[in-house]
Amino acid sequence: MDFPTLIIGGGISGITAALELAEAGQQVVLIEKENYLGGNVGQFNNYFPKLCPPACGLEINYRRIRSNPLITYYTGANLKSISGSEGDYSAKIDLEPRLINNNCTSCGKCAEVCPEERPKKLGRSPGEKAAYINNGLAFPMKYCIDPEVCTREACGKCLEVCDYSAIQLDASSAEVGILAGKIIVATGWNLYDAAKIENFRYSEEADVVTNQEFERMLANCTREHKKLTRPSDGKVPSRIAFIQCVGSRDQNHLPYCSAVCCSASLKHALTLETEYPGTISEIFYIDLRLSGRNETLLKKIEEKEGIILTKGKVGRILPSEGEEGIVLELEDISRARKRKDVFDLVVLAMGLCPAPVAARLELNEYGFCLPVQPSGMIPTACSKRPMDVSSSVKDATASALKAMQK
Amino acid sequence: MEDGKKNMALAVCSGCSIGASLDVGKLLDSAVEANQGLVCMEHRALCSEAGLTGLNTLLKEKGVDRLALAACSPRVKSKEFQLDGIHVERINLREQVAWVMEPEHEDTQLCAEDQTRMVLAKLEAIRENIPYIPESISSEILVVGGGIAGLTSALEGARAGYRVHLVEQSGHLGGYGGRIYKLLPDCESDATLKEPDIHLLVKELEKLPGVEIYLDTRVQSISGEPGNFQISLDKNGSSELHVGAIVTATGWKPYNTEKLEPMGYGSERVKTLEEFELFVQEEPIPDRILFVLCAGSRDEKHLAYCSSYCCSAALKQALYVRELNPRAEVYIIYRDIRTTGFQEEFYKMVQADDAIFMTKGIIDTVTDRGDGMELVISQSLLDEHVILKSDMVVLATGMVPNTTTDLQLQYRLGKGLPEIEYDFSDSHFICFPYETRRTGIYAAGTVRAPMDMEMSREDGAGAMMKAIQAIECVKRGEAVHPRAGDLTWPELYMERCTDCKRCTEECPFGSYDETEKGTPLPNPARCRRCGICVGSCPERVIGFADFNINSVSAMIKAVSMPDEFEEKPRILVFVCENDAYPALDAAGIHHLSYSPYVRIIPVRCLGSINKVWISDALSHGYDGILQIGCKPGDDYQCHFIHGSELTEQRGENLQETLETMMLEPERIQTKFVEITEHHEIQEMINDYVEEMELIGPNPFKSL
Amino acid sequence: MSEIADIQPDLAFKRELSQLSGSQLNQCMQCGNCSAVCSLAPADRPFPRKEMIWSGWGLKNRLIGNVDVWLCHQCGDCSSFCPRDVKPADVISGVRQLSYRHYARPRFLGKLLSEVMWLPLAIAIPVAVIIAILSLAGTFRIPEGPVDYSAFFPHGLLNGTFSAITLFFYLLASLGIGRFWRDMKRQTPPGEAGMRRLPVFRILGEILSHSNFSNCGSRKAGRFSHMLLFFGFALLIVVTLYAIWATVTHNYPLPLSNPFKILGNLASLMIYCGLGIMIWQRLFNKSVFGKSGYSDWLLLVAIGLLTLSGTLVQLARFGDWSLAYHLYFFHLVAVWFVIMYLPFTKLGHIFYRTTAMLYARSIGRK
Repeated sequence: MDFPTLIIGGGISGITAALELAEAGQQVVLIEKENYLGGNVGQFNNYFPKLCPPACGLEINYRRIRSNPLITYYTGANLKSISGSEGDYSAKIDLEPRLINNNCTSCGKCAEVCPEERPKKLGRSPGEKAAYINNGLAFPMKYCIDPEVCTREACGKCLEVCDYSAIQLDASSAEVGILAGKIIVATGWNLYDAAKIENFRYSEEADVVTNQEFERMLANCTREHKKLTRPSDGKVPSRIAFIQCVGSRDQNHLPYCSAVCCSASLKHALTLETEYPGTISEIFYIDLRLSGRNETLLKKIEEKEGIILTKGKVGRILPSEGEEGIVLELEDISRARKRKDVFDLVVLAMGLCPAPVAARLELNEYGFCLPVQPSGMIPTACSKRPMDVSSSVKDATASALKAMQK
Repeated sequence: MEDGKKNMALAVCSGCSIGASLDVGKLLDSAVEANQGLVCMEHRALCSEAGLTGLNTLLKEKGVDRLALAACSPRVKSKEFQLDGIHVERINLREQVAWVMEPEHEDTQLCAEDQTRMVLAKLEAIRENIPYIPESISSEILVVGGGIAGLTSALEGARAGYRVHLVEQSGHLGGYGGRIYKLLPDCESDATLKEPDIHLLVKELEKLPGVEIYLDTRVQSISGEPGNFQISLDKNGSSELHVGAIVTATGWKPYNTEKLEPMGYGSERVKTLEEFELFVQEEPIPDRILFVLCAGSRDEKHLAYCSSYCCSAALKQALYVRELNPRAEVYIIYRDIRTTGFQEEFYKMVQADDAIFMTKGIIDTVTDRGDGMELVISQSLLDEHVILKSDMVVLATGMVPNTTTDLQLQYRLGKGLPEIEYDFSDSHFICFPYETRRTGIYAAGTVRAPMDMEMSREDGAGAMMKAIQAIECVKRGEAVHPRAGDLTWPELYMERCTDCKRCTEECPFGSYDETEKGTPLPNPARCRRCGICVGSCPERVIGFADFNINSVSAMIKAVSMPDEFEEKPRILVFVCENDAYPALDAAGIHHLSYSPYVRIIPVRCLGSINKVWISDALSHGYDGILQIGCKPGDDYQCHFIHGSELTEQRGENLQETLETMMLEPERIQTKFVEITEHHEIQEMINDYVEEMELIGPNPFKSL
Repeated sequence: MSEIADIQPDLAFKRELSQLSGSQLNQCMQCGNCSAVCSLAPADRPFPRKEMIWSGWGLKNRLIGNVDVWLCHQCGDCSSFCPRDVKPADVISGVRQLSYRHYARPRFLGKLLSEVMWLPLAIAIPVAVIIAILSLAGTFRIPEGPVDYSAFFPHGLLNGTFSAITLFFYLLASLGIGRFWRDMKRQTPPGEAGMRRLPVFRILGEILSHSNFSNCGSRKAGRFSHMLLFFGFALLIVVTLYAIWATVTHNYPLPLSNPFKILGNLASLMIYCGLGIMIWQRLFNKSVFGKSGYSDWLLLVAIGLLTLSGTLVQLARFGDWSLAYHLYFFHLVAVWFVIMYLPFTKLGHIFYRTTAMLYARSIGRK
């Protein structure tokens, strides 16, 4: 008997691998640790170089998932262990307590009455309650209750308003065992911790944010039809600095290059230029790393006066000392001049690290999976190395083929 | 589901504010009035266990085979409302009525009743569908091009158990990858260049059963459709193949060296990257070599894009020079060093050799002084203007994709795959890099996008996966991405066809060929079910079982039209299912209110809107017609390539219709929206309704 | 510089510098982080990024005679934060060491003091001269009785010879300084503003206050230890001059209670502390302090031995040690070594750095 392919990770790569396999007639089980599919890019504002929203492609994929009986997916699912071997794996999955079950119609009444707020995270919807939904186009389209914030029976307000018996405040976690013939590891990436970089005052300054945080800030603005504001004082920033290679290409932190951050910052600058005319964006780089047809981003930027590209790695962020903003210090290499400049908001382009996986995988010196695994598991996309969305999808498609091989 | 006997039912869910917003009883009454014998049901939570049980019982009892389900959006609760043996059409009373219109208001009620009647009308008009499966299906795959992408593609396909035919025009496999001196090191292994491995790949390929390799062979013609392609090869006269899908991996050619003369090309001492790759294997290396990166790339006057592979390839060749001539010095002039990802370690590895000197700079002039080369470089890191001398100059030139016309597709719309910018045969979509415009034919490797050898391998495998998938889908009679799983297909009523061939020309995927007599010849397996042909046909010849001229006309006419004195305009809104419909749902989810005067008809693509629906709508008394779809233009979002664009063009023709009917041109408008623009779509609708209110009612209303 | 420079990469020089500094300087990726974090780098054409690429191309004529190389106070911030770990601080330090050799006149002295294999010869020269003087004076017998250095060592002859040789070497060295000045002018010309009057007092102020040291982040301890050494050494010179005067006026040797004697001991203490900190940092805090090469250790050890031998000489006199005269001899050799060879060892930075700072400030650089 042929077991299904287990795909660990429900981001764009995991979703792609699942769909390509299922539409080729293969049974697939997809597990995702968050309560919604979409992963990191599901929270993004737009992609480079087209500046198009991730929701567009994801919506098509969700439609394909909905209509495909060969795909089983679990959200709130954490991989506990994998045993066995190729052709005959046995995976143990921990399912988080489903305080809201599948009866949920996403009417939203529970969130309206919920008194608890989830801890503030930059980029999270402000005032997001314990009962929440990812966004309007979330998949699966149902609300969730954060078990770490909910006070359960002590409160119970949501129970009173739910007409669909969808709430079970006493739900507990469950374990699921999955037998799989092949396993695709699509666990994606986390951002390198900006607090580890001395000299950049990430922990001290509210207006120094990471590229991922900035992405989510923009996404929130799009969703709520609001203007971008500085975290510190709520003003609209008019001068924004993008610092490339913070902690990347750096022997003291991540020695490798994360491949996508230059394009991402250029994309941010273009987005700002379009939606916030008059904003000045300056990008500080060592090498401007675009590839292939993404070069068109540069072409678009050349005509924009509000976007400045400066070669010179920013060495440090200095204490503001009375300045109304963040002070950067760098050498402007093409002009051979040192500059100390003030910006309203500073975006640190941090690098990508592999997300940890609870399975015996062979890793390289940076913690990424080696492409060929002795266990036969198939790592894909960013679990192997940092790459952009297009390459991730391509890689996931190739991995799907490997999963079809005996 | 049969055409003759139609047992229809309507189930209404009053949960999620629907019941609070509407008078469900009245809704049911109005539905029954329009459809005698309609089986009805209401429940406060239709998706619940109780609701579904009740529903299933009722449907079985009454022998229902077509169900209109008025509840939430079809985008949610799909598994719950998927009922075996019953065709279900959803009526969106939640996101698109209850959540956006004033509750317990007459206009909201009228809207709900109209939308219900519209879907019931559609349900009745839907035809039975027998999926299309080509008469003879092959699961074999043709791979054109025996370079690294093609080889990997064939290998991975064969390993998955599929028979593969690999065609290569030259006498040997390997392409450019087969002619290199050494490979880049693996990022994890020790710091040495690797021996090339193409010959190992070839050996492995030759050992696999089910792989046929054709050397010195070209494709003479390809005809047919996915699952059923007829291939003609010119080998020993001619060879015929029958395959199910095709991967084209015909690779790249070097940039036109004539254009490189300003950079010194033409001198014996100046070489391109691929020339130098061969040079190092054949001739002694001079003592001073200078590499110019981005030569003729990232430049509007030459190749505007970045070829991705050249930075690491040039660095690799720098190492060749040092290995083969330990006395040599290498100078590298760059604009940016693009060794991304783990190739950063390779960059450091190259720099570990101190006889390799690097600086950023722009080449002003390259002169052959007879006894050596002299370059003037400006904006360098060494100084503003510098002169560097060397014995040889290597220009790191970019790659130019081969065209795919060598596929010799016997398609009415052309011999090759459509190209996007810079002549690459690629998809325009970031999330869907293999979204081909010729179904069943997938481009892989450098013919698709600039990439290095490592990326080409993965690309070959990816394209092969899509090829296999296409075959499997065709076997089931299903469409591929984006309407994956769709079993309907375009059926033509040829009696009325006038051979105008608009369907043929407007089909983004080349589904239609032409018979000898000049009549459109559909190839349904090539079809992506966008419906643009439905919209293009002036004779209304084409339709899908569940989306055709009648079904949509019926929806249009099912709306009850108040007379002009009631001052209740009726606006017809065509909404494309990709970006616009979800945006509308999102407006509902965010409880953004819009006018209750709109009547929504979802369409597969704006391009699928047929002119007759517009005239139907206008004659029926609609005051305005709004078409909302995905963005066109250079960065188009339309997954059917030019559906939105076509709508704009057809808009001009529609203006004529309006003029003949003596109606204002504003009564038909096309707007574009992104999926995240739920605020904008609310504004669009409300602004448009306001505009129509100002223009005044459609004079045809009372007729 | 608007004219076109003909670049002749010098691999041999590059390798010499790389080895001397212990830096894989070719791996510099020209990110500019070093210039960005350097607190002493001027705003116009900052250092050390450009010096790194010039090092990478072996451009000796842009490094030897480069004023910025001497504005650097070796704080090591650039090295701490360098993402490629190419230790710009050590490279710049290496350039300085090569400069001492390059500008040394006579050339053979520059060579003599740059490599450990010539150390025996370097030591032998003052030893030989002193022994010759002792023999000339004819007092080659260690006297009996309480220790009396004047009885054995002909101070007048010794001081006279020492001063003459030192002056001679310093005069020759000033030729080198002159060339250094001209090189700086060629590489970093004054510009439109021209040259201002030499701001001698301002530079003196900067040096005395060690203000440049306080700007550096990583090496705060460097300021303190250098101040100790600097002022300790200065005090010792003052004390020594007084002691020479004392020999002339026959008030020598000085009693312990003499204020200058007290000063001298205080200065020695300062030097011990300063040296102690420096040596400890160089041994146990290499990540911040970078590579310590031969010229660094030579100077530290020489100064250490000089001071130690001075203390011991004092103790020997009070304690009537039998080895007193030998110790005194050792002390003399140490003093001659440090002072005579000053322009050719790392101590030459007294001349070079001061000159560079004078030049820089006079053309308005920072």
